[in-house]
Amino acid sequence: MSEHTEHPTTATGQDAHDGEHHTNYFKIYVTLLVLLVISILGPEIGILWVTLVTAFGIAFVKAYLVIQNFMHLRPEKVIVKWMLASSLLLMGIYFFGVAPDVMKHEGRNWVNMAAMAVVERGIPLDGEHAEEDEHADDGESPGEGEEAAVVAETPFNAAQAYGTVCASCHGAAGGGDGPAGASTTPPPADFTSADFWAATNDERMFQVIKNGGASQGLSPMMAGWGVLYDDDDIRQIIEHLKTFRP
Amino acid sequence: MEKPLATLRSATGVPTGRLAVWWLLASEVVIFGGLLGAYLMFRLGHPEWANAAAVTNTWIGATNTFVLLTSSFTAVLAHQAAEKGDGVKAANYLFMTIGGALLFLIIKSFEWYYEISHGYTITANGFWSFYYTAAGIHAAHVIAGAIIMGFIAVAARKGKELQRVELVGIYWHFVDVVWIFLFPLLYIAK
Repeated sequence: MSEHTEHPTTATGQDAHDGEHHTNYFKIYVTLLVLLVISILGPEIGILWVTLVTAFGIAFVKAYLVIQNFMHLRPEKVIVKWMLASSLLLMGIYFFGVAPDVMKHEGRNWVNMAAMAVVERGIPLDGEHAEEDEHADDGESPGEGEEAAVVAETPFNAAQAYGTVCASCHGAAGGGDGPAGASTTPPPADFTSADFWAATNDERMFQVIKNGGASQGLSPMMAGWGVLYDDDDIRQIIEHLKTFRP
Repeated sequence: MEKPLATLRSATGVPTGRLAVWWLLASEVVIFGGLLGAYLMFRLGHPEWANAAAVTNTWIGATNTFVLLTSSFTAVLAHQAAEKGDGVKAANYLFMTIGGALLFLIIKSFEWYYEISHGYTITANGFWSFYYTAAGIHAAHVIAGAIIMGFIAVAARKGKELQRVELVGIYWHFVDVVWIFLFPLLYIAK
């Protein structure tokens, strides 16, 4: 058996790295099972940090135990650790390079309306979905059914929409002083200014919100929100803006 | 039969076969890491996905975690037996590990059947896209591992190529580690 000449130190061609013949695998296995039980029970308590620690913290502990004791990485040659570390480093670069653009839906000079629309539309909970099951069996796309259910059950809330979508530029109190609007030229409209209200009317505001500032010769930095809100929603938003009027 | 030089040589001090498995896993880290990283950033950017994640059955996920942890345990026992030169025992433990792989796949099949038949398909929304892609690629690794273990177990029973028992074990534990992270990401975080 030529493979046995490969590494003559043991019968199976292992080199001396397998010095840990005394690892108690059963003990490791039982520890893993105990950790599994904790990771299931922890989130049942319903406290966020307990969930994070028990579900994700314990996942790292379990992975560590498997890697060190079952895969025997600990006594492995250092080149192997560098190989794996390089892969993890590349992963980290990828994640932190891309994550800000994906996780945030608006930045200083950009807005991801499609993502915002998806968040706004939401996903119905299981119970709501169950009501749609009959339709799903009829071959209707479950996505459409879900959407209809949400529209019917969640009334539009203009103040909430303002907070989600408008406030980042126009400010939580409508003063045109939101953080994302700080660097735009011209600055975002100030709804607390009498000059603003003197220069506009409902129809003009409706067009700006629906089709964007450029449609009325205003700043193109003001995006059109017609994709996200229907006409009734926009009229409610305008009524909400009037609460900022001086 | 004489073996190729690359099989016998070990410039790094790590047996060539084992080094190859580590290289494979280093590339797998990027495959699964990229997928899970992408899932994580979307999940954090889309709070509404919590409602989709609420549908996944924690107990099925937990059962499959138990099955995979147990199969990792039998895989390491196979390695231990192979180290002592006991090919028959190593093969038996490998067959138990394959049994674990099959049980995992059977449970997964029932789970997916239930979900798909209730309209939670890969096209339902972003969460389910990631759910089926991540668990699907993982399941493909389970299938591949089971097949490879079958070949190695048959050889090991005859006392041949016992070093391969450790090699497939390292791969199998990696598949287990991937699931250890998939479990909280897809099942526990509601």
